[in-house]
Amino acid sequence: MKIDELNKAKIPIVKIDKRLERFRGKVLFPEKLALANKMLGNAKLPKIPAPK
Amino acid sequence: MKYIRYEYQTEDKLHYFEFISIGPKGNIKKIVEYTKVSVDDIYNIAFGDYDEKADKLNDTIVTNNGDSIKILATVVSTLYAFTGRYPNSWVFATGSTEVRTRLYRMGITNNLVELKEDFYVYGMKIDESFEEFITGEDYLGFLVTRKNKNINL
Repeated sequence: MKIDELNKAKIPIVKIDKRLERFRGKVLFPEKLALANKMLGNAKLPKIPAPK
Repeated sequence: MKYIRYEYQTEDKLHYFEFISIGPKGNIKKIVEYTKVSVDDIYNIAFGDYDEKADKLNDTIVTNNGDSIKILATVVSTLYAFTGRYPNSWVFATGSTEVRTRLYRMGITNNLVELKEDFYVYGMKIDESFEEFITGEDYLGFLVTRKNKNINL
């Protein structure tokens, strides 16, 4: 992807920091995840509008 | 982005992001986490302060570091990065308290014009159904997904 395309897409250039891999597989906010699971358990996803 | 944001770091899979809030209360490490929920293709986003000494996170603390708009813009920016990698995902956000949920709503409202260019943005109503996000409405949570799924990073 060219730089101007990247800017247009608004996808930030991210810096990779290997230190953060120590979190991998961990749930850092378990209460929030439990709450989200509870809230989404019976919820129906909205339908995405058809492309025009 | 419309608002200035902090620079941040992430790891290979873009599930954890880290940045430093800088203000009158000092430098405070923040973590943004995307975790898969039990419903297919939905990730929960959470963010809060990271206490290095205790190796713990706190998403209920109110830091009052005078930079909440910048923090929210940074969190929104991680959304672009995460969904750039996982364009078919949906991202759900809810606060651990009503105050926190209102903070999330403020973050969406502040960035709504830009967000709606790239995302479908929904609010979860009291009956747990979703509607297109309306500024000023109270919601239990928020759900977004990318409009353009054909992103190749």
